[in-house]
Amino acid sequence: MMLGQSEDLIIREITVGSSQKKCSIVYLSVLVDQNLVNTNISKIVEAKNAQEIMAISEMKNVDTVNEIADAVLSGNMVLMVDGAKTVWVMNTAGGDKRSIDEPQSEPVIRGPRSGFVESIDTNIALIRRELKDPNLRFEMHEVGERSKQKLAVCYVEGITNKDILDEVNRRLKSIDIDFAPDSSLVEQWIEDSFLSPFPQILDTERPERVIYSILQGKIGILVHGSPFALITPVTLGYALQSIDDYSQRWIIGSLLRLLRFVATFITIFLPAVYVALISYHPGLIPTQLAFSIAATREGVPFPSILEALLMAVTFEILEEAGIRLPKGIGQTIGIVGGIVIGDVAVSAGIVSPAMVIVTSLTAIASFTIPNYSTAVGLRVMRFALIFAAAILGLYGIILVFIMMVVHVVNLKSMGVPYTGPFAPYFLGDLKNLFIRAPIMTLTKRPPYLETEDTQKVNNGGQDK
Amino acid sequence: MKLQSEEGFISDRDIMIAVISNIIGLLTLTLPRLLAANTNSSDGWLAIVLGGGIVSFFAYIVSKIASSFPNQSFFSYASYLVSKPLAVFFTLMFTLQYLAIASFQVREISVLAHQYLFDQTPREVIALAFLLVVIYAVSGSHAAIFRLNVLFLPIIIGGLLILILLPLGFIRTENLLPVFQTDIKGYLKATYSSITSFMGFGIVLFYIALVKSPENTPKMAVRGVLVITFLNLLLYIVCIGVLGNLTTENLFFPSFDLSRTVDIPGGFFQRFDSILFVVWTMIIFTTALMAFDIAVMTLMMVFEKLKKIKVIFTLSPILFFISMLPKDYLELTKVSSVMSSFIVIYLVIVTILLGVAYKIKGGNQNA
Repeated sequence: MMLGQSEDLIIREITVGSSQKKCSIVYLSVLVDQNLVNTNISKIVEAKNAQEIMAISEMKNVDTVNEIADAVLSGNMVLMVDGAKTVWVMNTAGGDKRSIDEPQSEPVIRGPRSGFVESIDTNIALIRRELKDPNLRFEMHEVGERSKQKLAVCYVEGITNKDILDEVNRRLKSIDIDFAPDSSLVEQWIEDSFLSPFPQILDTERPERVIYSILQGKIGILVHGSPFALITPVTLGYALQSIDDYSQRWIIGSLLRLLRFVATFITIFLPAVYVALISYHPGLIPTQLAFSIAATREGVPFPSILEALLMAVTFEILEEAGIRLPKGIGQTIGIVGGIVIGDVAVSAGIVSPAMVIVTSLTAIASFTIPNYSTAVGLRVMRFALIFAAAILGLYGIILVFIMMVVHVVNLKSMGVPYTGPFAPYFLGDLKNLFIRAPIMTLTKRPPYLETEDTQKVNNGGQDK
Repeated sequence: MKLQSEEGFISDRDIMIAVISNIIGLLTLTLPRLLAANTNSSDGWLAIVLGGGIVSFFAYIVSKIASSFPNQSFFSYASYLVSKPLAVFFTLMFTLQYLAIASFQVREISVLAHQYLFDQTPREVIALAFLLVVIYAVSGSHAAIFRLNVLFLPIIIGGLLILILLPLGFIRTENLLPVFQTDIKGYLKATYSSITSFMGFGIVLFYIALVKSPENTPKMAVRGVLVITFLNLLLYIVCIGVLGNLTTENLFFPSFDLSRTVDIPGGFFQRFDSILFVVWTMIIFTTALMAFDIAVMTLMMVFEKLKKIKVIFTLSPILFFISMLPKDYLELTKVSSVMSSFIVIYLVIVTILLGVAYKIKGGNQNA
């Protein structure tokens, strides 16, 4: 057999009950549910003929060697009866699974507490259980030349635009990798522009966000082995939304969303504007403020550009270290970062207090962006802006801002313009962009997705 | 992907927005000066209204002609209407004209930045940085340019409204009165200058080819012109009311200087004009972008085999060179007035020729 000699490969020969036919069963001991295998074996032993065996649990017939190998590798038990032309595969997949847990990367105040896990079957079940729509579809693909992971494309038939779906399927077929350790690899294979700092496919750990999105006409992609589902096509505005916006009453939700837009602007522009104002246009700051900033900058040996870069890079290092550090000693980063960098650097006169304020405000603002990939992309942009500010002041910032806009308007996610609700269709969808209008008024699916069914049946912004 | 929003297909609302953002440009900055030079007290408003009316009429004719050949480029319907050699000539003249407009914008942004933001940075650097961004934008798709317009429109209109609304308290009625003190000659000259500032509507000739269903486009183009007429009118009145006729006449960018008169309460930004500079950069950017895009587009209509990116890289140095030709403000003003006369005359000639040919030959026959 093509599976070769492996300790966990079990081949047993038994005779089927009274018919005295010889048969052998094959399975991988680590992948199967031992209980299921045991009951199946005992049933086989007791059974009188092949028909009776057919009656046990989930079964199917296969007839090529490759299929048998695939079946065994997926945790199935294979039964080969002497003299029979086909081989029975019994679903005995089991083994250890992580239990459903609260999502780690995108916490919400109000909302379901369950997050995706690594097993795709559990994840599909999580979606199915919440969304009892008969039109919900899962199209299965296989990803990984060697790992043969299952990948499910989920959408609601009759809502999702067929062109987008075909495009997603076409791109998924082009994937050529050995193994996908996470759905992010799939994401990078199928995204539109690999040069862009903005994620064109969004990841989420929350089943309700996937459900909400596919009901809008988007497409979800689940990959076996990854607790992160992918959502596509997305827009820039969508990337800044959190499912929490819908949980609060609309005024609160709208204010939170506006706050997030403001925070996004702070993340991108604040350090650059500071540098530009200090080094080129001190006349633009109110005189009082200019004096106090100048006073704090006295004795600082570096020009403001160097200071800004120094602090920005330090912050990035701190964050990276915070992620890599084992949880137990994570506290250290807070102490070292907060006290040493924040306090001592200022009192030693290496950086000015104003710069520390700017850097920390930027950092905090960047954490309000719900999606990590988006936040990182935007944080990278701020370095470009700092450089531009150092070279051409405010004018440089404007030019880089225009360049960013040019880039974003050229960007697409699965062929759908990334600027989504802003442009080309702008008025109808604005009530669910900057603000989150009352749930009763959100009766249309996003027009940029060109869904087959534009009216929301459930008359609400969200399905939960 | 066969999505509607894909390459090339835009809605007629986008045309309106493009017309708006193309007409609001540099000349909006200088228009009050041009008007004040020829009229007394606040009489220029009549010139704006007249100019807006005349231009709307032209915009209607031009877009009517263009929209009766849906999804056909200017070159192809012009060849059908007025024979091929003439169409080649027209198209290439447009290439030159829009190249000149784009380089004028590039030059003016450097003047503006030089005058108000930093006086030590060399003008060439400012212009070059701006040009690079324009090149980057032109290299993208047409659909993206229209999305950009849509994105910038609220900022542009919002900026202009702030510029108009904030100084309202500073208006002195003695600046506006007495009315109707200008002679006919002055009115004619002023109307002419206001017409020149509206010439941005010419883009409909080229962009209507991209509109999916252009039935309503003429109406939209006219609506765009009317919006600008209204904004210009307000801007002019506020400008004269606050600065007075004589001051307006002697300021190079009166609309911009208007913003220096106001204070924003709260005192966070000492100088309000710096915020408006952001808006003006976007305004000039959209105008320059579309001008350059049309220059590239028209050249590619005639020479179909050329690659877009090559055309862009060939034209850019020329554009930069042209923009650096005028030595000082004085020459620049001269160049600007010669250029706008040329644009007006040329556009009128083309409109009339195409219009007459259209009347004779009739509309859509898939040339």
